[in-house]
Amino acid sequence: MAWRNLWRSRRRTLITVASVFFAVFFALLMRSLQLGAYDHMFRNAIESYTGYIQIQNEDFWDDKIVDNTFAFTGDLEKRVSACNNILATVPRFESFALANSGNLTKGVLVMGIDPEKEKYLSNVKNRLVRFRLSDSAIAVLSRSGMPVDLKKRLVLLRGNSYSSPASLLSDLGVSDNDSSVILPFFRKYASFSNAYISNGEKGVLAGDRLAKFLGIGRGDTIVLLGQGYHGTTASGKYVVKGIVKLPSPDLDNKILYLPYDVCQDLFNAPGMLTSLAVSVRKNDDDDIRRLMNDLSSEIAPPLKVMGWREMNKLMINQMDADNKSGGVMVLILYLVIAFGIFGTVLMMTSERKREFGILVAIGMRKTRLAAIFVTEMCYIGLLGIIAGIISALPVIYYGHAHPLRFHGQMAKMYEDYGLEAVMPFLLPGGYLIWQSVVVAVIVFIALIYPLRKISRMVVVNALKS
Amino acid sequence: MRTLLVSLFIASLASSASLFSQDLSAREIVTRADNKFNGEKSSIMVMSMTIIRPAWERTVEFKAWSLGHDYSLTLISSPARDAGQTFLKRKSEMWSWNPVISRLIKLPPSMMTQGWMGSDYTNDDILKESSVVDDYVHVIEGEENINGRPCYRIKMTARENASVVWGHQLRWIDKNEFLVLKAEFFDEDGNLVRTETGSDIKMMDGRNIQSKMEIIPADQPGSRTVVIIRDIKFNAPLEEAFFSQQNMKNIR
Amino acid sequence: MIWKTAWKNIWRNPVRSIIVIASVTIGIFAGVFSVAFMNGMIAQRFDSAIDEEISHIQVTGRDFSLNNDPGIIIRDADHLIDSVSSIHGIESYAERILVNGMAQTASRSEGVEIAGIDPERERKVFDLYKKIIPGTGSFFEKQSKYDLALIGQDLAKELNIIRYSIDSVSLAKLASKGIPARVTTLLKALEGRRFSGEKKFEKTLTGLLDKKDAEEFGSAIKEAAWSFRENSKVTLTFLDRNSNQVSAAFRVAGIYDIKNSSFEQTMVFVRDESLRRLAGFDSGSFHQLIIRISDIGYTEDITGKIRSAFPGYEVRNWKELQPDLAMMTDYVHQIYGIFMSIILAALAFGIINTMLMAVLERTRELGMLAAIGMNRKRIFTMIMLESVFLSITGGLTGMMAGWLSVLVTSSHGINFSQYSEGMEAIGYSAHVYPVISAGFFLLVTILIIFTGIISSVYPAFKALKLDPAEAIRTE
Repeated sequence: MAWRNLWRSRRRTLITVASVFFAVFFALLMRSLQLGAYDHMFRNAIESYTGYIQIQNEDFWDDKIVDNTFAFTGDLEKRVSACNNILATVPRFESFALANSGNLTKGVLVMGIDPEKEKYLSNVKNRLVRFRLSDSAIAVLSRSGMPVDLKKRLVLLRGNSYSSPASLLSDLGVSDNDSSVILPFFRKYASFSNAYISNGEKGVLAGDRLAKFLGIGRGDTIVLLGQGYHGTTASGKYVVKGIVKLPSPDLDNKILYLPYDVCQDLFNAPGMLTSLAVSVRKNDDDDIRRLMNDLSSEIAPPLKVMGWREMNKLMINQMDADNKSGGVMVLILYLVIAFGIFGTVLMMTSERKREFGILVAIGMRKTRLAAIFVTEMCYIGLLGIIAGIISALPVIYYGHAHPLRFHGQMAKMYEDYGLEAVMPFLLPGGYLIWQSVVVAVIVFIALIYPLRKISRMVVVNALKS
Repeated sequence: MRTLLVSLFIASLASSASLFSQDLSAREIVTRADNKFNGEKSSIMVMSMTIIRPAWERTVEFKAWSLGHDYSLTLISSPARDAGQTFLKRKSEMWSWNPVISRLIKLPPSMMTQGWMGSDYTNDDILKESSVVDDYVHVIEGEENINGRPCYRIKMTARENASVVWGHQLRWIDKNEFLVLKAEFFDEDGNLVRTETGSDIKMMDGRNIQSKMEIIPADQPGSRTVVIIRDIKFNAPLEEAFFSQQNMKNIR
Repeated sequence: MIWKTAWKNIWRNPVRSIIVIASVTIGIFAGVFSVAFMNGMIAQRFDSAIDEEISHIQVTGRDFSLNNDPGIIIRDADHLIDSVSSIHGIESYAERILVNGMAQTASRSEGVEIAGIDPERERKVFDLYKKIIPGTGSFFEKQSKYDLALIGQDLAKELNIIRYSIDSVSLAKLASKGIPARVTTLLKALEGRRFSGEKKFEKTLTGLLDKKDAEEFGSAIKEAAWSFRENSKVTLTFLDRNSNQVSAAFRVAGIYDIKNSSFEQTMVFVRDESLRRLAGFDSGSFHQLIIRISDIGYTEDITGKIRSAFPGYEVRNWKELQPDLAMMTDYVHQIYGIFMSIILAALAFGIINTMLMAVLERTRELGMLAAIGMNRKRIFTMIMLESVFLSITGGLTGMMAGWLSVLVTSSHGINFSQYSEGMEAIGYSAHVYPVISAGFFLLVTILIIFTGIISSVYPAFKALKLDPAEAIRTE
């Protein structure tokens, strides 16, 4: 009977279903967008720097000295790689040293990496400088056929290096449309020939600012001096093979990438590493947790498994704050849509006052009436929720594949750090159930008013309306 | 007349002898101890330094030429990997020469707090050796026996303008030979940060000196540095010109 | 006429109208408050950066910023200052000597940037003098025979100059703050002990208290146990003009706190004459000229003027020094634009639903009106006005509520001390003062009217399609 009732007044039913439908639809979209954007940003940050999990000497995190390294054995590599979900193991040897060229000396951060495997984490190769606005390049470009205002900007950017066409064009203020016209000029006159490092070779990559300070370029020799393993002196001579540009000026000013085996040699620590990071296939929270458990059973002291939460404590704080503010936004949305649903239910109740009066007058017990009413609302709620989910899904999938783009300065900063300047929707997951549950709860709360009305109803008055 | 002069002379000798042993000021005691090594015009030492850590041990052998407080040249002779490295100190600058990379590098401020050759003796300590007398106010606190030898216990409080990191030091200086047998270093709050001990007193090149010194950081169980003087020659004919960057590369 | 009718029509079903108005109110209030909140955070970060850290424009010798090479001095100093003081829009300026070096105490050392300043001139450009932690000293106000250094709180913690100790005074303080007795009893075990470093203290605390207590009361305990000995000594080591190493003892003149960890850890301030004397710089020479302008709008203009007058120098304004400041406003506008759109869309659908119901309810009445000759345009307008009135009423109440809440919170601010560590690490205070502009209110009003109009289209259309004859015959 409840079902039939619904279709007696199609319009009314549809309007009520619509209010539930909109509620679910908007709640899902907003949550998906929030979770997606925040997920994207933080995951990217983690994946490109520390990675989700690292294996280290248990003393290393508190005291990052060369003496707190661990032995990277073939056995360890095998045991780690055998775990489920491991895409690659990424070895690293990080330390400090003095870099010297001619009369100039500067403290530098020495990053020993596996040139090929590092792409699973921080993708150093992408940071190789591709364009440099040297004085000669600017001289030639100033005489070319480019627009005048661009030429003016060029002068301000004198000496800058860029690792991608995108950041070059962004600094110049060239729009996407014009890029295909402008870029060829730079490819022709401002290209920077560069090279990468490889295992076993005593070649290094220097940060752009560091190279400028020390006055070195590709092919020059750089000398490193520092404290090695067990107090020995670390010293070595290396050739600058390439120049990289890091978005953080601070890092760019002191970074030196070496192949990690060469680094081990330098610090007199053969076979040792400061950390072994892993790159994963599936990166949602459950998979990561499972992997950490698997690894912890394979790893014993003096080694330790460090999770991304431990290694990024500050970021966690920021993430939490961000998450909470996102939660507040969704709460606000709920309030808004709750009112929408209440309103509709309210109107429906007052419309049907007469009908209810008649039913009770002809003998239906109020409880039965209430039951029928509740059932009707359940159907409506269900229809609305299902419809909402079904309509939201295509939007979510589309928004995931073609996410919203940032523009302006924000976009540039994202791109500089190697992140895509986008806000993707998050694919359906737990949140889908939660949002629907919340809306269902709202619907049930909305029932309270009509049910009260029914129980308090004075039949005579109802018939009169 | 002559007899009078002679007796006066003997009398004054006698009294100055008593001055000599009784009324030394704290500052003078510290100065004398300092002069044992540095007061001589120059010295050439052959030493070995053993760095002891909970997980490992390492010994470095070297030869050191020094002129007063301000100049020193050190040549590492062992182990083979480090042999040939030299360090030059000229007043407040420190240089390092490494034959493997054949580079002469001036040590920047950021390297000052690192231990020299990985030991507990920092580069900064090397540069600031000279300040024991001038940078502190000295007071004799009492007397104690260290290893059976009677010593003055002197409290040295850092002068306010002195650029030393210590709040104060306690030194136990042997009464007879003016050898520093023990020193304790405290921060401004009075926490013990480091202890140094001198032992194995031997006669070397005509003087009694402590041939073994240990540097023991507080707070780091199982870690210390032991320095042993194998040979020492005082007042070798060294000139300031000897302590040059050129010589860093040539010395053997 | 239509207006009055439309208005009256709304109140014919008061409950329904109130519900719609309420939902609009809530939506708008929330939107206004969240934007105000975000604005407050951004504004505070922005003001901090300008007033305490970088100011508006900096002039240095070419390539100086690459590595703070002490040899790159501004040569034409007098000429530069004369020109700068004559530019319109410049509020004040100050010169600084800058060297990189190490700060050392008995147990720790840290790399720092040492700025030699003229305290009087600095006051006109920076607000740092207001940020000295009470009880730790002053902004070079005391005459002293020592060389004084002003250091940041985070550096003081790193160097173990700030210590932590539990004594009867701190226990009493904690009790008065409402820390439960079970915690203070546990803390008594630490009485008399002094912890030279924050990390050591934290470790001991987490070992002593259970996890929940440590998280909840950790920061309050640290605050109460915080202690600092006046005139602590710190040794600064740096290279002088000729690249010779100089080491000198400084006394801590005061500890500043600007809620920005990385700035506090790096910047040490000393009197310029101390640095000149120790490092051998002539009086009148300096590395950096910092300029404060009276109106942000002049930034590009003045930067350009100085650049063209002095092509040999590097002139950078705040946008170039900290591009993320400029970016923040972009980001906020975009995020909140999306948020408000979703809210307004949800509201719009709510209004459409309501209006539709209202129209269907009044089929007979509307049919009647059409039958007696009311023209279609007027019927359409009436429905539209009803919708607009609903949204405006809700909108106005929402904006009023929003404005009031901003007014109240802006004087006292909202506290987020739980997240202070993470936020201060990137330069945000965990104490936010919401702020909103008149322009924003105007924008919201326009959007609401717009929403009201758009939402009315479909229902009004439906109303027009009614066949008057049919309508009259409806129940």
